[in-house]
Amino acid sequence: MAHQAHAYHMVDPSPWPLTGAVAALLVTSGTAIWFHFNSTILMTLGTMLLLLTMYQWWRDIIREGTFQGHHTPPVQKGLRYGMILFITSEVFFFLGFFWAFYHSSLAPTPDLGGCWPPAGITTLDPFEVPLLNTAVLLASGVTVTWAHHSIMEGDRKPAIQSLALTILLGFYFTFLQGLEYFEAPFTIADGVYGSTFFVATGFHGLHVIIGSTFLAVCLLRQIQYHFTSEHHFGFEAAAWYWHFVDVVWLFLYISIYWWGS
Amino acid sequence: MNRHIFALQQVARRTITSSVRRQVDNKVPKKQKLFQEDNGMPIHLKGGSSDAILYRMTMVLTVLGAGYVVYELVNAAFPQKKT
Repeated sequence: MAHQAHAYHMVDPSPWPLTGAVAALLVTSGTAIWFHFNSTILMTLGTMLLLLTMYQWWRDIIREGTFQGHHTPPVQKGLRYGMILFITSEVFFFLGFFWAFYHSSLAPTPDLGGCWPPAGITTLDPFEVPLLNTAVLLASGVTVTWAHHSIMEGDRKPAIQSLALTILLGFYFTFLQGLEYFEAPFTIADGVYGSTFFVATGFHGLHVIIGSTFLAVCLLRQIQYHFTSEHHFGFEAAAWYWHFVDVVWLFLYISIYWWGS
Repeated sequence: MNRHIFALQQVARRTITSSVRRQVDNKVPKKQKLFQEDNGMPIHLKGGSSDAILYRMTMVLTVLGAGYVVYELVNAAFPQKKT
């Protein structure tokens, strides 16, 4: 076998970028076909392909890092940069929805009654379930930090317990938010209030689900001895993402739930 | 009576603990050996036959899906009006 004279990772040719691109094409076109022709088959096919691509691509990355040792310090540095840049792009994504919210709420138009919240909108009490949700996510930030320290100390059982607790708190948040959505006295169709509320909190909820999934994968990997006390970047990436999700919620809570009520 | 309750407690505790003791074994060294074998296989197929099955299934969906989306988009772009 030829050996490389450098610390970087020259990856094997992989089919997943192609399958992922086709999946993206199918999901987007499929959504348009669903909207116009009432058929969900293309969108469903695309989603299945997307899930298959994600599973196999990330499985391969775990193989390359944990089983083949390709994630040397320079490679890990690149992965860190990558995750930071990705999270930064997500920050800009949410910034857009906050811009929309403040655009409409700082100068409410006459058709809203010239006030915010608009006339006729009964807002949610920020000191009820939304405050509980805030506590849940803040607590999950503590438990994920506890998990990190346990991993660094080589404490296997506390690491598993605190990581599992973090995931449970994430599920609890999603469950509570689901109840709130069901009980809310307004819908997404209720003017600009409804639009800004449900699009911003809805995308946040999606990110909570993504973050919980990422943490769950880390839990499985921790159980299977993938992480060492020195090298556990997958977990760190998940923890960064989780803190980002928490911070977005804090901004949502203060802007939309509290100031906007 | 107390002795019986105590004995029952001990049995229950031992049963539960022994099921918890069924730990997950560390299979990482075994996986490291499998994936570092010099057999020229690319990473997405190196795990064995289940890799190949999953890959083939994904590729079939990719090709069929790409074909189907082109068909649907062409259909959507040239609507056949029934007179």
